[in-house]
Amino acid sequence: MSSTAFTPAQRLEREAGPSAPALVRPRSRRATRRSVVKWVFNILAVVISVVWIFPIYWMLIVAVTPLGQIYSIHPQLIPGNVSLQAFRAVLADPSFWQAFRNSLVVTFSTVVVATLIGFLAATAIARFRFRGRNSAIVMIMIVQMVPLIALIAPLFYVYTKVGLSESLAGLIVGMLALTLPFCIWTLRGFVAGVPAELEEAAMVDGCTRVGAFFRVILPLVVPGLISTAIYTLIQTWTEFQFTNFMISEPQHYTLPLYLNNFLGTNQEVLYNEVMATALLMAVPIVVLFLLVQRQVASGLTAGAVKG
Amino acid sequence: MTDHSLIDPVGTGARRLAAPGPKKRRRQGRLAPYLLLSPALIIVLALFGLPLVVMFLLSLQDWSQVGQFTTTLQGRWTGLTNYSTELTSTVFWSTTVRTVVVSVLMVGGSMIIGLLFALLMRRISTWARYLLTFALILVWSIPALVSSLVYGWMFNRQYGIINVLLGYNNVHDWLTSETDGWFVVILVVIWGAVPMVTIMMYAALTQVPKELVEAAHIDGANGWQTFRSVVEPIIRPVVLIMTSLSVFWDFQVFTQIFVLFNDQPQTQFYNLGVWSYIEGWQHQDYGTATTITALTMVIMLAVTIPYLRQLLRIGGDSK
Repeated sequence: MSSTAFTPAQRLEREAGPSAPALVRPRSRRATRRSVVKWVFNILAVVISVVWIFPIYWMLIVAVTPLGQIYSIHPQLIPGNVSLQAFRAVLADPSFWQAFRNSLVVTFSTVVVATLIGFLAATAIARFRFRGRNSAIVMIMIVQMVPLIALIAPLFYVYTKVGLSESLAGLIVGMLALTLPFCIWTLRGFVAGVPAELEEAAMVDGCTRVGAFFRVILPLVVPGLISTAIYTLIQTWTEFQFTNFMISEPQHYTLPLYLNNFLGTNQEVLYNEVMATALLMAVPIVVLFLLVQRQVASGLTAGAVKG
Repeated sequence: MTDHSLIDPVGTGARRLAAPGPKKRRRQGRLAPYLLLSPALIIVLALFGLPLVVMFLLSLQDWSQVGQFTTTLQGRWTGLTNYSTELTSTVFWSTTVRTVVVSVLMVGGSMIIGLLFALLMRRISTWARYLLTFALILVWSIPALVSSLVYGWMFNRQYGIINVLLGYNNVHDWLTSETDGWFVVILVVIWGAVPMVTIMMYAALTQVPKELVEAAHIDGANGWQTFRSVVEPIIRPVVLIMTSLSVFWDFQVFTQIFVLFNDQPQTQFYNLGVWSYIEGWQHQDYGTATTITALTMVIMLAVTIPYLRQLLRIGGDSK
């Protein structure tokens, strides 16, 4: 990050100027061309959104189609027969809500703890030189390479010995280990992006080291924290392989296991309910994201650096 | 510098005029990194440490005479025989080549599309950005299990919408030939990976001040030059991380292959991960399975060493 093309001194210089352009020019041809370009990009974004969302639209179609008509030789883009039966069935199922609660507990704990200790570890790596620093980086990297499947059997053995299998606490610990390496790595990049001079200036001015963390680094890495939190959130909310090995009792099911339960039976698979469950699973994430959207989408750092 | 808290709502400056005491932090600095690092390292090591050792020990055993896995190392010790067997077998090398080719396509595809989307997001109106982020987050929050089911559905020969849209009514089977089958797998993976890459890249791009980009424009730099010399250096750490992680994840693509091919993929759809899983959990040959896994890790490490070096270097520069 030291290759960053500007120094805080330059930043201050930049900020010294008036914040709004002082020159009010008549709308030039250049400006018109710029707004045309912007609209072309807007339309492109709409097209991309539609294309990307299409498979999810298709999930919705499957979810609202009565089971007997799913296997139609002539699939249609707009279904003739819409039924909300699948959604109603899932929402009325107490085990769906049980799984929902379990998922909520596991995900919330994992996100909070992973973001917090991930940020601490990232600060250590990005801001300190110490013995073992490179080995820590390499270890965090290598851990990412291990296929989970290869570890499942020995991990299950350890979990049973310690008494963590078949418990939500065990799931939380497992999800922490699975998501922490990514959190540390990503946050390291963001922390390194904060010029050390800013922090030093704060300390010269009487801030303690801890104070500098919370007053200088933390506000500047908020976009990084939010994106790693979203990563951890989605990863934990949708995790299947690990959970599937550690949990077998239905009262400990998380939502992905509840979903998988539909597929494991010998009877006809209720695909419309599978899709309805998957869509319902996505709702909390999307709602939450829309709430924090402003932080992510408005380029908060760009504003926060103006200190 | 005298005007502070009022014009500094985020508290970034925090420039209180207190007595400077810079000597004190030297002592704190010794232990601090270890204290900061230890909670994360303990959790990760506790979970991955022992299983990794067990995995390596298993790869030194012959399991052809043993039945079910019962938590102990009960195979026959054979030293490095498993490794020499795999390294001299043609199946291993053809599977490796296939895994590498497919991963390159997946990583390249998701990184390039993700970066382009992120750059696009910087240049569109707020409402369009909301729409695009909404679509991406929605896609991201769909588990691979479900997205693979939907793609299998959409590409189904008989009742799939893709054949209808392409006018191939009921004739083209996407999931039998090697190229078409992998095409669908790669499509599912890229579709699912792009949202994360885009969001991360966009978060990184917010660290690039718009004024700097404008300054470059005024100085006559074209779009590509601006990207190369202004934007790229700032987002490089995130690009490096996302690329190496994509390599790791795409090398191990598993759920998508299993679900699309109804839990019984033909050998032409094996990558190293699927193959290792089949050897271990279906043939109960844990020696071979763990050997394949260990070799996969060596290959991934080899592929990402240039990235790793660069990451260590970037890390070393900052204080």
